[in-house]
Amino acid sequence: MNLNGLKQLARRIAVDRPLLLIVLIGSLSTWMTISYPEAFPHWDNFAAVLLDAAQSGILTVGMMILLVGGVFDLSIGSTLAFSGIVAGTLVKDFGASPLLAFLGGIATGFVCGSINGLIITRLRINALITTLAMQGILRGVTQLVAPAGVANLPEGFKPFGQTVFLALQSPFWVMLIVALLAWFAMNRTRFFRQFYYVGSNPRAATLSGIKVDFVVLIGFILMGTLAGLAGTLLASRLSNAVVLAGIGTELRTITAAILGGASLAGGVGTIPGAFLGVLFMSLIQNMLIIARVPVFWQSIVVGVVLLIAIGIDQLGRRGR
Amino acid sequence: MDTNDAECRTLAPYDVEDPPRLSVRGMAKSFPGVVALDNVSLEVLPGEIHAVVGENGAGKSTLMHIVVGVYQPDRGQMEIDGIPYAPVDERSAQQRGVAMVFQEGSLFPSLNIAENIFAGRQPVTSLGMVDFQQIHNHTKDLLRELDLSVDYRVLVSDLSPSQRQLVEIAKALSQQVRILILDEPTSSLTISEARQLFKILHRLAERGVAVIYVTHRLAEVFEVADRVTVLKDGRVTGVRRIVETTQDELIHLEVGRELSFAPDPIRAPADAPVVLEVEDVVAPGVANASLRVREGEIVCLAGLVGAGRTELCESIFGIRQLVSGRMWVGGTEFTPRHPLDAMQAGIGMVPEDRREAGLFLAMSVAANIVAANMDSVSRNGTIIDAEVERLASRMAETLNIVTPNLEREVMFLSGGNQQKVLLARWLARRPRLLIIDEPTRGVDVGTKSDLYSLLRELARKGVAYLVVSSDLPEVLALAHKIVVMSEGRTVGELDASQADEVTILQIATPGGVAREGGRS
Repeated sequence: MNLNGLKQLARRIAVDRPLLLIVLIGSLSTWMTISYPEAFPHWDNFAAVLLDAAQSGILTVGMMILLVGGVFDLSIGSTLAFSGIVAGTLVKDFGASPLLAFLGGIATGFVCGSINGLIITRLRINALITTLAMQGILRGVTQLVAPAGVANLPEGFKPFGQTVFLALQSPFWVMLIVALLAWFAMNRTRFFRQFYYVGSNPRAATLSGIKVDFVVLIGFILMGTLAGLAGTLLASRLSNAVVLAGIGTELRTITAAILGGASLAGGVGTIPGAFLGVLFMSLIQNMLIIARVPVFWQSIVVGVVLLIAIGIDQLGRRGR
Repeated sequence: MDTNDAECRTLAPYDVEDPPRLSVRGMAKSFPGVVALDNVSLEVLPGEIHAVVGENGAGKSTLMHIVVGVYQPDRGQMEIDGIPYAPVDERSAQQRGVAMVFQEGSLFPSLNIAENIFAGRQPVTSLGMVDFQQIHNHTKDLLRELDLSVDYRVLVSDLSPSQRQLVEIAKALSQQVRILILDEPTSSLTISEARQLFKILHRLAERGVAVIYVTHRLAEVFEVADRVTVLKDGRVTGVRRIVETTQDELIHLEVGRELSFAPDPIRAPADAPVVLEVEDVVAPGVANASLRVREGEIVCLAGLVGAGRTELCESIFGIRQLVSGRMWVGGTEFTPRHPLDAMQAGIGMVPEDRREAGLFLAMSVAANIVAANMDSVSRNGTIIDAEVERLASRMAETLNIVTPNLEREVMFLSGGNQQKVLLARWLARRPRLLIIDEPTRGVDVGTKSDLYSLLRELARKGVAYLVVSSDLPEVLALAHKIVVMSEGRTVGELDASQADEVTILQIATPGGVAREGGRS
């Protein structure tokens, strides 16, 4: 390959976020394989990385759609915990059937998302404040309902999160289905394409006949529902609904989405980008664990990655 | 107050032989692609109220921004009281006693009047503490001088627009102002508030302050000013003493140019079906509007800035809700609650502010065109890429949009091509009525003429247009019928062949001929 071709490749990688992530993931994996041959390149380790990516992935799909529409949700961690607790309480304390409990958990997320969306679009309180408030409220309600969580969930509730298919646990497959559906929706369907217009210029979107408030409302409902799904799956996987589940997930999720090409200014981002962003974050996490880096470092690394990703986004915009 | 006035008068010992308070000579300023000022001179005497008038884009604001140091001129000199003056920013202008009263925005709403007047330069006591005693006494004096009967502790956010303006003036006065500039000061004032302002300006002038009064409202010039300088296309076309001129002369000085485009000779038949009928519509910003647009007709809304033209268009397009009045589209009564309702009735709208309200700047040409056409490029809610491509390339070809490809982000296109993208978005819907607010703002002359012929051609095929334009030659070239608005009302209707700029301006100017005839 000549020099010109190399230059073009470098430029494409810098502009094309998914491609950049693939290159990063590839080189990181190679490096890990060489540095930690006994711990990294094994199927069990990959399965763990993918399982870790499953929960963030489900959430990041929703967050990506919101960010494309120019908004975001900080209450997802609390929604996740609350939904798990509701599902656990239903199946354990109220004797509901596992399926009903599972659906109940998802419905809880649906309701939380609807409340967020209605407050934001009807009362015109901005997304930051609304979802920050909901983060606190829902976490408190969760502790109120089940101060110690719901432990030892019945056997019948386990299959949702613990079934192994093709050597991978079910949450990964659920995430894959969610991501594929969302990919199709954001790329192809008329309704979801509207998120790009709303995020790019809400005023112009209104003047083009798009019902901006309705689009935003659906975005939050979807986000809440996905958080409910993730929370219920987590409870099922751990056989245990944990009150403090999901703390800090909003940071990881927003970081993954921004890494994947979303911008706080709205209007850009893709589902494949979000998927790769999540994979990259899980890989970093895995790397830190294998390298025996203390846990608190993980949070520091995630914060730094978020700043770098936003920095790249800003630089890219200034270049225009 | 009377004693105060008397005191003021004795404070004006200016001699006729004194140099002018402000002298501007040979001022020139260009922006990329536009010559904003070309060899402009202006002379303002101490104690004089000097009006600067001109149409939109005549260069009034550019000139004032140079005087207060916001813009740097390309050429030209200024002197204050005979001493050279070349401000590099607003602060250095203030140090020479030059202050400008902005329409809005230079006050802090959450602070009180006194804090606003002394923002950033509070006097301090010997202990380094803010000397509130001095601030309050000084503010009280200023407010008394301006007949502003509110307490100095009132928050600016609790004041009316006219009171805020007086606070701005008080702020200027507190800085020993020698040249006070007001830009369209009455735009948010009622008539009695404006009168009050004029009284205060006269009093300041008697104290020797030179007042520069920028406006497009000619009637006011005769009420407040001593002399007037008229600008047109960045040049001075006349300097007159008010007692020696008339409103008609000023209008001729403002306009006096050749038409650059010939008017459309073809008219829609007089009995063509009415596409849009608006009757006694009242909406926020619209006091009372009635009009009709027929199939194939281009109706232009003319009027001054703030006459309610955009607001009327927004009411028709469902952005503003009607307070009262009725509308019909194609004979069917029509009450749009959202632009979508207007679109379903066959109406499209290209907004005035292309970048803020029209375009999705970071998105592609194709995505921008498709924005209002997603129904026609999708089946069962799924978008068909081939249809997007077909629609976008067909429209790009029809409108002759110059772009490397349809995936190019619109922010990289020229103003003229951006406007074409917006027109493409709406023309693809084959509207019965297209509302276009300022069709050629920021568009080069070549594209302008393209757009005119395109609109005419489609008009011949039956599309009706409602066009808002502040560019009178454009109105005359484009319109079949002209509806003039003034202060939120439709005040006159002219056939384009019988209209000229002077007539339109006379009808559009509040307090002008038509008003007096119409209201008395």
